[in-house]
Amino acid sequence: MDLSQLPQQIVNGLMLGGVYVMVAVAFTLIIGMLNFLNFTVPALFMLAAVLMWAILEGHGIALDLTAITVLLVLAMMAADRLQHAKLPAPLKTGAALGLAAAACIAVWLVISLKPGDPVFAWLDGAAGKSGRWVVGIAVALFTVAMLSLLIERFTYRYMKAKYGDATEHALPLVSSLGFLIVLEHTVISTWGSDSLTTASPFGHASFTLGPVLFSVPQLISLILSLAIVFGLSIMLRTTKLGRALRSIAERPDTAPLMGVEVGRIVPVVYVIAGLLCAIAGILFTINYTTVDAYVGDTVATVAIAGMVLGGLGNVWGAIIGAMLIGMVEVMSIYAVGATFKKIPIWGLLLMILIVRPTGLFGHTAIGKGKF
Amino acid sequence: MSGYLESQLIILCLNVIYAYGIFLPAASGQLNLGAAGFITIGAYASAYFNMSGAPMYLAIPASMLFCAAIAFVIAFPILRTRGVYMVLATFAFAEVVAGLIINLEFLGAAAGYPVESHADFLVVVPVTILVVLLCFFLMSTRLGLAMRSIHDDEAVATLFGVDVRLAKVAAFTIGAALMSLGGALYGHHYNYIETQSFNVLLSIYILLYVLLGGTQTAWGPLIGAAFFTIVPETLRQIAASSGQEWIADTRFIFFGAIIVLMMVFRPEGLITRTLIDRVAMPFAGGRGGPGGRSGPAPTAKIA
Amino acid sequence: MADNVLSIEGLHKSFGGLKVIDDVGFDVRRGSRTALIGPNGAGKTTVFNLLTGVYPVDAGTMVLDGRDITRVPARDRVIFGMSRSFQNIRLMPHLSTVENVMLGQHARARRLGDLLYPLGLVPGNRWARAAKEALEDAGLDTYPGQVVANLPYGVQKRIEVVRAMVSQPRLLLLDEPAAGLNQIEAQQLLALLEKVSDSGVTLLVVEHDMHFVHNLCDHVAVLNFGRKIFEGTPAQVNEDPQVREAYLGSDTAMAGAAHAS
Repeated sequence: MDLSQLPQQIVNGLMLGGVYVMVAVAFTLIIGMLNFLNFTVPALFMLAAVLMWAILEGHGIALDLTAITVLLVLAMMAADRLQHAKLPAPLKTGAALGLAAAACIAVWLVISLKPGDPVFAWLDGAAGKSGRWVVGIAVALFTVAMLSLLIERFTYRYMKAKYGDATEHALPLVSSLGFLIVLEHTVISTWGSDSLTTASPFGHASFTLGPVLFSVPQLISLILSLAIVFGLSIMLRTTKLGRALRSIAERPDTAPLMGVEVGRIVPVVYVIAGLLCAIAGILFTINYTTVDAYVGDTVATVAIAGMVLGGLGNVWGAIIGAMLIGMVEVMSIYAVGATFKKIPIWGLLLMILIVRPTGLFGHTAIGKGKF
Repeated sequence: MSGYLESQLIILCLNVIYAYGIFLPAASGQLNLGAAGFITIGAYASAYFNMSGAPMYLAIPASMLFCAAIAFVIAFPILRTRGVYMVLATFAFAEVVAGLIINLEFLGAAAGYPVESHADFLVVVPVTILVVLLCFFLMSTRLGLAMRSIHDDEAVATLFGVDVRLAKVAAFTIGAALMSLGGALYGHHYNYIETQSFNVLLSIYILLYVLLGGTQTAWGPLIGAAFFTIVPETLRQIAASSGQEWIADTRFIFFGAIIVLMMVFRPEGLITRTLIDRVAMPFAGGRGGPGGRSGPAPTAKIA
Repeated sequence: MADNVLSIEGLHKSFGGLKVIDDVGFDVRRGSRTALIGPNGAGKTTVFNLLTGVYPVDAGTMVLDGRDITRVPARDRVIFGMSRSFQNIRLMPHLSTVENVMLGQHARARRLGDLLYPLGLVPGNRWARAAKEALEDAGLDTYPGQVVANLPYGVQKRIEVVRAMVSQPRLLLLDEPAAGLNQIEAQQLLALLEKVSDSGVTLLVVEHDMHFVHNLCDHVAVLNFGRKIFEGTPAQVNEDPQVREAYLGSDTAMAGAAHAS
């Protein structure tokens, strides 16, 4: 083994860990608060990465996906209003059916008319080809935030724990898997399942420091992602929102009694988690320039490992765990080859889950009760 | 039987066997996201025994025993975990298995592994029927009753004398043996295996078949696996024959949307106890309609 | 020595630093109908949970019918002749009435042959028949095949008693059996429990409804803040100054109760 490469490998491990960190924190936020493994995390990561790619490559159809998302969210909001409205039941049913039909027609219109292309052409003209990355970031963030609102409804708000039996906590997990399938196949049916490549909008800027080569976009990404997750963890500690979040995480039953508006807080958590995934996905496209419909699965499995290492529901644990896993991954590829990397990562994980399920820094309350 | 139908029937049978392997622990409240791990072990073990000279009808049971032994050993630590931890632990187990096998040169490593003996549908279909019957039998026994009680309320089941750990380990181990059987049949049917065929997505889909089919009755996995194998394939056929390519492209989007909507409107799965009651199947113990027995109540003392 | 089906001595239990059960001891005479009463938070349900092995005890002994069960695992205690119902109904929601009752038989059917007996495939097998008969005796034969989740509350309460009875206990623990029942349902339950008692089973009942206790029980133990403060007949209970204080409160007791809640 060539030890002179070691510093470079450590730096590469850190860079890779930077991507995992945000995904791991997104997972851990949802697990900590709502106690389920949210498989929409890889889906949102992948969607943001692919949307970023699509805009960079000038695929205006990406905006159609945004439009559909917005339409569905609007329909959901209208449905919520309808539910609380004082109307006779048959009228309500009729209105709900009408709403569903209107939403379907609107989605169909978007699909067949493809209004995204002219809108994109206009945006592209305004931003210029070199400014596409700004449009890409805006579109990816906005779409994912909207989608998070939709996902919140179907993995939390509409779920009812009826008996509290052993597999009931699987309901949101299964819903999130449904979303994963929907989003992956939306991308596949739009752009195919092959690798999608683009050129980095920032070229190959890099500098060397001693024996180590730093890629500038990667370094910026790492700093950015760490700044975001650190900022988030400080926010969780200090702000009123953060206190509300922690009170829900620790006592979901009594939090409402203490004046915490769970119904308002939970969507915020989904949007925060979604935006973390989206930023990670956007950075992934910019840095690694190759994405596909399954890119989220690969990243998320490693991020899950990092989260478990740090302890479920623990934001700092997820940060450190994800960095460590990024390091272990790069090191084991470097030391013994790429096919071997699964054994140290998952073996370690299995051991931790069995021997010390709270992870390095976690606490026991999470993951055992009901959602 | 046409080649096409035959190949679809094989896929259906394998999915049904896998589904029952996940169903048994799920019926007792354990979510196992490690199907791919047990399937991989079964496929490789049977292929290896077969390569080493054992005939197929010995290699497959041997692989089941081997896999059951592994499952039995890991069941004790894994079943100490609950909820999301159990999901993660089984998932990690499957990844470790895949990671190990891809590094074992004598099992072909990344190049895949050829399998000698062939199992055609005349083997696969009867075995599948046996598996289904076995699971119906198991769920009708007192062990099945204990498993369903554990699913509903572990603490109370304990207080009535149910050995919760034994029942859970039994369900987990028998399930693993079934999945290994499915994996072995997969290998012997296609005569070639590689770890990539048994990935996370396979584990996820099998768990979905079971949860969407319903974990309350032995009908659940059968209907779940059948529904979610046949419907997408039929849609693909319709798309191909009608020239409407968009059906084939978007069928999985609808599949995913159905899953999401089901969790809201029918969270207990397609097949529930109440549904079975309504179609009045004579399974599950001591059934009789309201007022099924008439005449004066016997005067015997309680119990 | 009197013929006691259950003797508890020096029972202690703390959760964290909080003493929930503090040196509790009492005997339950064979064939008696003993009530365990006390204000909210007195530790009545905790005594049940210690008896059935839900929690391990910190100190003390529990002797059931001559056998020390203090260290016996929870799932084996039912074999020694003790069975219980729960404060909040804990029937298995996805099982039918008969299946729930058959779960109660589990303690008597733990051999491999019994475990693998296909209850559901043999119509009219002896287990199902026994379960149905037990339900009929309790006047619940109208609901054998129904999933219990949809049954009325009072019916579910009685099914719990039947489920506990089919394990053939010598001592039946009932945790607030009458709570949440209307008058008619309470009457039906009372009739059922009297029948159970007449068949020779000893009852130990945690109950808030003193009217129900007076109607059913012949012996009363009173807990307050984890201590036994009184033992005697239902008639004596009302006279005892300590019990009156525990329920109605003196100034100090009120302050303590407010603190505890």
